Amino acid sequence: MADDENEDQKEYRWETGYEKTWEAIKDDEDGLLDGAIAEIIQKAKRQRLAQKTKQNRLGMMRHLYVIVDCSESMSVPDLKPTRLRCTIKLLEQFIEEFFDQNPISQLGIIALKAKRAEKVTELTGTSRVHLKALESLINVSLTSEPSLQNGLDLALKTLKVVPSHASREIVVIMGSLTTCDPVDINLTIDELKKEGIRCSVISLSAEIHVARYLTQQTLGTFGAVLDDAHFRDQLMSQVDPPPAAKTQHNSLIRMGFPHTKNEVEGKDAPLSMCMCHIENLEEPSVLCTTGHHCPQCNSKYCELPVECQSCGLTLVSAPHLARSYHHLIPVPNFEEVTLDSMPTVSSDYNGGVKECYACAKVLTFVADKSIFKCGFCQQFFCIDCDAFIHETLHACVGCNTIPGVDGLVYQQTTKPTSEDPR
Amino acid sequence: MFFYKIKLSLVFCIYRKGRISADTDADKLPANMEAETSSKEAESSIDLLVIVLDTNPSQHIVRQNPQNLTQILEAVIAFGNAHLMQKAQNKLAVLSCSHHATNFLYPLPRRQVELRQVDGQYEAFSLVEKTVKQQLGSILMNAPRLNGPSESLLAGSMSMALCYISRLQRNVTSGVKMHSRILVLTGSNECASQYMTFMNVFFTAQKLGIVIDTCALDKTLSLLQQGCDITSGQFLKVTQLEGLLQYLLWVFLPAPQMRHKLVLPPPPKVDYRASCFCHRELIDIGYVCSVCLSVFCKYSPICTTCHTIFKTPGPLPIKGKKKKKTDKQ
Repeated sequence: MADDENEDQKEYRWETGYEKTWEAIKDDEDGLLDGAIAEIIQKAKRQRLAQKTKQNRLGMMRHLYVIVDCSESMSVPDLKPTRLRCTIKLLEQFIEEFFDQNPISQLGIIALKAKRAEKVTELTGTSRVHLKALESLINVSLTSEPSLQNGLDLALKTLKVVPSHASREIVVIMGSLTTCDPVDINLTIDELKKEGIRCSVISLSAEIHVARYLTQQTLGTFGAVLDDAHFRDQLMSQVDPPPAAKTQHNSLIRMGFPHTKNEVEGKDAPLSMCMCHIENLEEPSVLCTTGHHCPQCNSKYCELPVECQSCGLTLVSAPHLARSYHHLIPVPNFEEVTLDSMPTVSSDYNGGVKECYACAKVLTFVADKSIFKCGFCQQFFCIDCDAFIHETLHACVGCNTIPGVDGLVYQQTTKPTSEDPR
Repeated sequence: MFFYKIKLSLVFCIYRKGRISADTDADKLPANMEAETSSKEAESSIDLLVIVLDTNPSQHIVRQNPQNLTQILEAVIAFGNAHLMQKAQNKLAVLSCSHHATNFLYPLPRRQVELRQVDGQYEAFSLVEKTVKQQLGSILMNAPRLNGPSESLLAGSMSMALCYISRLQRNVTSGVKMHSRILVLTGSNECASQYMTFMNVFFTAQKLGIVIDTCALDKTLSLLQQGCDITSGQFLKVTQLEGLLQYLLWVFLPAPQMRHKLVLPPPPKVDYRASCFCHRELIDIGYVCSVCLSVFCKYSPICTTCHTIFKTPGPLPIKGKKKKKTDKQ
């Protein structure tokens, strides 16, 4: 919260000193701007990476409600084409990314329409349902004011019954500057605080006091967006799992790992229907031999992860669990060094050229002013690989290609059981 | 279809690989493929193939007969050139994964190998052949002595391939599509200690739309099988090493986009069950720690991985029921 207080004390833009932004860009000897621009981009990239700090206890199993304002103010065209369309477009990306990064989490959507709150989708773990629902949300008629309290109450009602080992969160996307509530909203905020539900608000117009207060009380984040790129940044920051709430209980959860029954005693598996589509009239269940069978009650599902409809067992596959391990064991940040400090490899086939260890890009003094060194394997990487390794790959290339490097140790000391063979 | 035949037979003409009959395989190709390949979309796109070649001398097949490595290398070079021949825009990279390091065999950004047209062969092909052979030779010469068997760090080599692909993908001019894939050729056993890296590689590849193909030369590798399944690639275990080039050309040469039109080996049944961290046995139903997601086969009050103390599950549901009852009364 210290950050927020600092922000409050900041001067307004028009009160600060006159900034000569163009002076930050300097041309090099040849009169080219490439080097200077590359430097600015590098700095921005670096800053983002440094913000990621190692968290030991995270809320890995997340139950998240996204509350979308569908009031009149969402038709304002300051975000192109309109606020609502822009929001929906970004939410689609967000949902894909959310399930990619948090495979055993659940998400639901609530719409605030004309002072009422309406559940668009229930909490589920499949992105398809949400994407379909979002499509229908585009054509909703935007009238009247939203009610923040009704939305929060509806989300609270569902999240209250979620098991206590899960991380419970609400993300509100508000376009309106006002909220029209039935009773005092502070009661709802107190209740959310008591339950330990983390609320974050992204405002599309301006900072709203009650929203700021809500996020401060529930340890969430508040952001007012500048433009669509900033909006995207704000929304995507919700993808990473937050630190575990104090109220969150730790427990062992019983899960099933279904195996595909393709052959039973030498014969093909019998034809059967999957449980997930059995009550779906639009896409009826198809008779087929493939599918994932619940190890407890033997009902079939065509997609994982899913909660068994008949016996309530959570069904996952091993790669699903592995997908979230990188949040717990992040790659340590690399040290930023200058290209001069990189020793020239004098082996005969190298020819004395300095290159990035991972992508074999030739490093030059103009474009690669700063390069990055892994503290464990002592290899040097270009800025792009540094970002790629930390943001996407989540594994240091040097540590994993050179046998006997200490770098593999950081995985094993924090998690000696990472040697799971399957 | 007809073009395809020509291409295949061209490959064989150039490499004089002998009496392998390309016709039998080419006959299996469906007739409508010609329309597919001649479309403009295909012309403007770039196909990048990165071959990760396991050159670890402690592989079973290499120890058995050191000549095998030469044969594998010949097949890989011929296969790589066949890929380059399919389209002028196609790109190729070869990485070697040895017991001590991973290196690029082709392309080399630094010194170009001197080129002169030999025997009427297209220069680009002789460049591939010369660079790969020279580079691998110097790597093997400079390699430290092998004391006992060592594992190949394939996962790391694949992560290096991903970095390379992502660099090329960043530099592609807008409007041009690039389809990338990784082909892993290995005769090593799989190693459980690389599990995390393997998984990270598979998910990154899936995210970037990179197909991972595996050609297992010796053993069936269940981890790489999972990777192929996740990225919708092809897994093949070669039964006869002599026919390696034919296997490669038949299964791995066609681009993934047109593979569904071919008759390829059926995908193996992939076992996605987790193994518990305590006994390393495959389990159907297990307990997962809510903090670190470790898998256990039996309930224990403390997580052995992250040392979290769990609340006991037994008495709680009863309490809940009692409360409800009192409320109703």
